[in-house]
Amino acid sequence: MIVPNGHVLLLAVILFLLGAACAIARRNLLMILIGVEVMLNAASLAFIGAALKWRQLDGQVFVIFIFAVAAAEVAVGLALIVYSQRRTGALDADAYSRLKG
Amino acid sequence: MKILLSLLLFLPLGGSVINALLGRVLPRRVVETVACAAILGSLAAAVAVFARAWQSTYYFVILPWVQVGSFAANLSLYYNPVAALMTLMVTFVASLIHLYSAAFMREDRDYVRYFCYLNLFVFAMLVIVLADDLLFVFLGWEGVGFCSYALIGFWYDNPANADAGRKALIVTRIGDVGFGIAVALCFFLFHNLSITLINAQAATISPVLITILSLLLLWAAVGKSAQLPLTVWLPDAMAGPTPVSALIHAATMVTAGVLLLVRLFPVVSLSPLALMVIAGVGAVTTLYGAGAALGQRDIKRVLAYSTLSQVGYMILAVGAADIIGGMFHLFSHAFFKSLLFLGAGCVIQALHEEHDIFRMGNLRRLLPGVYWPFLLGALCLSAFPMIGGFFSKDRILLATYLQPGLGYKIFWLLGLIAAFLTPIYTMRMTFLAFKEQADGPAQADLKPFPRLMTWVLWPLAVLAVGDGFLNFPGGPGKDFLARFMAVVPGSRPDLGASTALEWTMGLGSGAIILAMMALAYYLYGRPGKAWAWPGGEGVLAWGFYLDYFYQQVLVKPYQALARIFWQDVDEAGLDRSFGGLAAGLLALSGGLGRWTTGRLSTYLAMLFLGLTLLVSALAVSWYLW
Amino acid sequence: MTLYQVVFYLLAGVVLAATVLAITRRVVVHAVVYLVISFLALAPMFYLLGAPLLALLEVILYAGAIMVLFLFIVMMLPRETRAPGLGVLARQCWPAVLLTGISLTAMAVVLLSLPLAQTPVTAALASPRHFGRVLFEKYWLGVEVASFLLFVALVGAYYLGKSPEPVAEEPGESS
Repeated sequence: MIVPNGHVLLLAVILFLLGAACAIARRNLLMILIGVEVMLNAASLAFIGAALKWRQLDGQVFVIFIFAVAAAEVAVGLALIVYSQRRTGALDADAYSRLKG
Repeated sequence: MKILLSLLLFLPLGGSVINALLGRVLPRRVVETVACAAILGSLAAAVAVFARAWQSTYYFVILPWVQVGSFAANLSLYYNPVAALMTLMVTFVASLIHLYSAAFMREDRDYVRYFCYLNLFVFAMLVIVLADDLLFVFLGWEGVGFCSYALIGFWYDNPANADAGRKALIVTRIGDVGFGIAVALCFFLFHNLSITLINAQAATISPVLITILSLLLLWAAVGKSAQLPLTVWLPDAMAGPTPVSALIHAATMVTAGVLLLVRLFPVVSLSPLALMVIAGVGAVTTLYGAGAALGQRDIKRVLAYSTLSQVGYMILAVGAADIIGGMFHLFSHAFFKSLLFLGAGCVIQALHEEHDIFRMGNLRRLLPGVYWPFLLGALCLSAFPMIGGFFSKDRILLATYLQPGLGYKIFWLLGLIAAFLTPIYTMRMTFLAFKEQADGPAQADLKPFPRLMTWVLWPLAVLAVGDGFLNFPGGPGKDFLARFMAVVPGSRPDLGASTALEWTMGLGSGAIILAMMALAYYLYGRPGKAWAWPGGEGVLAWGFYLDYFYQQVLVKPYQALARIFWQDVDEAGLDRSFGGLAAGLLALSGGLGRWTTGRLSTYLAMLFLGLTLLVSALAVSWYLW
Repeated sequence: MTLYQVVFYLLAGVVLAATVLAITRRVVVHAVVYLVISFLALAPMFYLLGAPLLALLEVILYAGAIMVLFLFIVMMLPRETRAPGLGVLARQCWPAVLLTGISLTAMAVVLLSLPLAQTPVTAALASPRHFGRVLFEKYWLGVEVASFLLFVALVGAYYLGKSPEPVAEEPGESS
């Protein structure tokens, strides 16, 4: 008897929205990635909470996969950031506007 | 018989079609010959039919025309003594006018169009004369309306002429509305549009409906025959070539209204109220026309108002239940009025398109070939005793006087006053145009014109003068016309007047007419300056300001309304709102275009926006459940 | 008020505070450090919710490897790009705030009205042995695929991170 289910999920929701807000509001590419990391973590929390509720280990297994994917994604993302910073000299998301219509 | 009638009707149409199709490639003489030959052929056919049919009636269907549900209309013809005499008159006068036109339009380049329309007009008029089915009559009715529009506005390069043509069409159209409603009403009442059938069954319909039908027919006649209140188109219609005025506005189109009432007289006669109204319209118009003619300066306008006045007499006759008198006057008028118009045409051409009678003169000496026929025609118009118009006008006034009721006595009085004004304006016109003027034109000022134009005047003059003897009150050939037309339903050959009354009226009016002619001579005919009205001829010259009244009350508000709808509603309202809509859409798309910034942050924000929308939708639907 | 509840809410508060601080820092290094704190606070929460192995992995992998990688890259990049000035500007954050507010309201409303959400969680623990068994017996394919994914990421990161080679000076020679 810890907490109501809703509270766990609510915590996960708040964390997710915080991460989303960070990804939207910041222009530094690194900060956007950090926002993504926060979102992933929130999702993991939600999975674990659900696994506890339904007494299934599948939720926790998915969290492992989330970790793996997060790692891969961060690696490639950071490599991309470094590469594009070397090419264009800026870490500002607004600087990458070649797709402007 | 069928063949002759069909030839009679369709030869002018054939002439018109041939000229329309081939006129441009054929030489001028051939075009004129085709047109004249068509009418002369029609005349020959009319004579042949007349000889064979004499007083009998003949009915046949050319072909079935419209068949929709329970409504059927045929191209059918009904030939009776009225139609017989009308076809003879129309084709005869038309052929003379065609010959005259060939000479009159000799310098005009648009002769093909002219002859096409002229032939087409004669065809349409013959349709009105002969047709039995009301829808067929309507076809001819509209046909004469259209042809008169085309011919009045013939020289359309001058906007005034085109306006005159349009005015004629629109004003007669207002009358045609009455005809259309009458046709519909006839179908509703009789389930058939055949004149013979309608005349036979007229007695079975309630009096109120008969009155309404008669008044509708009167309205149609008022439009076509230029009676009050729709007189305004006829004076302006003088903008067309003079032979057109002679044909259309003397002999044929303006009489179409009278003819309609005469053909449907068994219907009209069943309603005393309608007859009274008809007589009233005729009487007032007669006086109006005579009065206005007194103040005109243009020779053709004098004749136009005179036509109004004389057609008013015919309408008055119909209202007095004397269709024989009406038809009698119709024939007299056709001959002498077309004679006067053609003579006026000669004068106008000779004086280089001069229309003002106050600037004419000396023509008695210079153009004797025109003067004498013109004088005869003028005498007929004035109802000089013993010739032409005297007997017909006398009969009409007698018939009006004999009708019961105070109204008819008043109408008789109006007609009588008009009959006394007629000699004054007629002789005024004649004297001013032809008498000796010191400052008038000389031989060298005249423009030569073909002899043909004066030759055609003579047959008309003879007929005009001798026409009175068609219905001479006594002697051999007594009441010839009346007896001939006795078989027509609704006709009264004998008016039932006592001989004493007849003689009194005849002698009395004859004396006063001679006195009026003397007065006219005293005012206008003596050598020297002509007498002028003290205050100018204003009211009369402007036709008692009727045209001006219509202009102010009807035309100007209509034009203002049209301008409002055009400028304020259409341009400002609709165009600008659509323009605004288009501009708004452009602005909207421009605004939307600013979303494609190409920036990462924008796109991320859009993603989040989508997520928000989904979640909100979920929450809302959650609660709506 | 059980101990569990106190610990849970305490940890929740720390996580939230650290995350909020992290996302509002102007200096990226500060943000990363705060994030590490957040993850470190999240790990005991995982333990509380019955996933000890995952709590461990959270600390080792996430806070320990991924965030450290972040720090390496941040240090590697030139100073100017890390400078403040690329922080949060007031006029830039209104869409985020607005959308966050709306979404939060909507989700909270839905979550808290569920009867399912009212029932309390009963504590349980998944032993690593048990967890491993499930992972490798039931989801072995996922493990293999994840390893493949990691390999691809490795190759990609290596390639992208390579320093650009000097371009040959001879004309006509493609790079």
